[in-house]
Amino acid sequence: MSDLLKGNFKTKNEVVAPEVAEETLEDRFERTALKRLGGSIAFVSKKKVMWEFKPKS
Amino acid sequence: MAKVLLINPTVREEDVPRHVPYGMALLAAIAIKAGHLVQVYDENAWRKGDAVTRQVLEADDWDLIGLGGITTAYGAIKKIVGMAREICPRAVITLGGGVLTSMPQDMMDFLPEVDVGVIGEAFVTFPEMLDMIDAGNRDWKKCNGTISRNAEGKLVLSPMRALIPELDVLPYPAWDLFPLEEVYFKNSESLYSEEGMMAQRRLDINGSLGCSLVCKFCFHLGIAGDMRYEEAKDGGVDVAFDRKGSYTRTIRYHSPEYIVKMVKHAYDTYKIDFIAFIDENLMTMDQYSGRTWLKEICRLWHEYGLAPKKNPDGTWTGVYWGGTSHASLCTQEILKIMREAGCSQLVYGYESFDQSVMKALGKGATPANNIRSFFWTLEAGIRPIPNQIIGFPNETFDSLRADMDAWQKLGIVVKPHFATPYPGSEWYTMYRQHILQQYKGDLERFILDLGDASKSSAIICHNFNAIELVGLRDMMMSFNWRRIDEYEKIWRINHRIPDGKPSTLYPGFAPHMTLDLPEPKLSLATAG
Ligand code: B12
Repeated sequence: MSDLLKGNFKTKNEVVAPEVAEETLEDRFERTALKRLGGSIAFVSKKKVMWEFKPKS
Repeated sequence: MAKVLLINPTVREEDVPRHVPYGMALLAAIAIKAGHLVQVYDENAWRKGDAVTRQVLEADDWDLIGLGGITTAYGAIKKIVGMAREICPRAVITLGGGVLTSMPQDMMDFLPEVDVGVIGEAFVTFPEMLDMIDAGNRDWKKCNGTISRNAEGKLVLSPMRALIPELDVLPYPAWDLFPLEEVYFKNSESLYSEEGMMAQRRLDINGSLGCSLVCKFCFHLGIAGDMRYEEAKDGGVDVAFDRKGSYTRTIRYHSPEYIVKMVKHAYDTYKIDFIAFIDENLMTMDQYSGRTWLKEICRLWHEYGLAPKKNPDGTWTGVYWGGTSHASLCTQEILKIMREAGCSQLVYGYESFDQSVMKALGKGATPANNIRSFFWTLEAGIRPIPNQIIGFPNETFDSLRADMDAWQKLGIVVKPHFATPYPGSEWYTMYRQHILQQYKGDLERFILDLGDASKSSAIICHNFNAIELVGLRDMMMSFNWRRIDEYEKIWRINHRIPDGKPSTLYPGFAPHMTLDLPEPKLSLATAG
């Protein structure tokens, strides 16, 4: 049983912590780079790219 | 017996969770003592996302769902009460804490999902509400200290709840209901002193409620005698706090025995090694007690075997501790006694090293006292934490230079906060129109924008706007006197202030602060 809810009785339904997905290498890189932002450290936050590249035909 | 779910909403997302919510932990203990069925979900500690919060809400048939916190938790609270109303239509949704108390009517308007707001101290109101639920009574206007809705949906304010006279009647916080081992102890580090940094098992405690000072940026949560119910212009009732010429306070503190026994209990039960006193100000209490309170706490700290002893490897037995002091109220004698009992760090709201800024602030301290207390504290072997603010209403180039001068001479390394009018503070009352103006009249936008005062939100400085303050802070931190001198020249031209005249638009509002917006209209009925 998970301990997310703490109290003085047993609840009807259990609260189950979701499986935490392993952090991807991409996420780890972006998190680490963010901490060092400045100087020559700058990066593309890939999930935040909103534009699409449409080359003129 | 009422089935209660308490949820501690996420706050200060930019940092890891470090503080068990003290008020909520006390309320949980009170409810359990009264025989109720209580569960706590510490969303702020776990940070598991909305899917888990939904599961929590679905875990039982809750009679009451209670949330609370400070104003900056508003965004998280809004989200949770939305889910709670949808998943638990039968439950009474309750909100308390500073977020509600500072602006009860506005909050109830923003959050239609909330049935009952608990204004100010909840030690009696909350268990009384649970008893009412057990009795099938939902006539909240009969319960003092609440704001609720009548059948027509109008807000109803019950009479003000009196503060409990004696704090020692309170049980210890229900620490067991919060993830100490899983989350909080891992984040024990308190980067204010060497010992604070090394702490492995820190807990917070609160030894007193109240503060005799009237700093204009401060809010006392309506639990310090700072709150008054006043007749409003429209004949209704206003919940009012500090205002020029109208300050009220009630000072309460736990006995030294209660405090030290509680720390001993935490030491024996949780093996704590550090205590952070979250009291508004330890020194104001000490002064109020006739200089007996802290001395006695320190004496008992030794007597109960809590005074720390260092091991050769830097670890220790016993409990180091820290809290908040005051520049004018500390004495050399007490600082020395505190150090001997294990005090390693004291926060000083020095705020500014400029005489006119300090005078306008209402803090009862001067730059000279700031400097005196700084040296006394260092001499005692305690690290002073020299908090600084810029962007005061009457901040000028010269006051900023006074800060820089002091930082340079005293070796202070600081990224100052921006003066911020948090709801409940005198600044909020004074500058409400100007705040609204900066958010196009949308008060909720301001509330959602509030976070740590290291970032700018509503500006209340008459001389500098947000962009100027951010730039000036940067230049101050790198001691770039030249750039600041240069900018003052440009500023004077822009504001048509000739050389030799003080570089200020204060008093009298800056042009960008003059628009008068009407107060938002609210429907408010008063319980008889
Ligand atoms: C611990 C603390 C924090 C903690 C967490 C607080 C928490 N989760 O409660 C942390 C470190 C996160 C914090 C951060 C900040 N804080 Co702070 N903090 C405090 C402190 C020192 C103690 C709070 C406390 O426990 N008081 C004692 C207990 C007993 O009171 P309580 O929790 O409010 O509970 C009582 C009632 O309010 C009510 N209640 C509370 N919860 C609930 C829930 C329910 C269901 C009910 C019915 C009732 C209820 O019942 C309780 C018993 O009466 C206070 C100052 C003080 N000494 O009070 C400032 C204070 C709360 N903080 C304040 C401020 C300004 C900040 C910051 C914005 C400062 C900054 N650095 O910029 C940041 C926020 C930054 C961010 N990004 O969000 C202001 C509040 C402003 C406001 N309008 O809300 C205070 C009052 C300081 C001041 N004097 O101005 N803070």
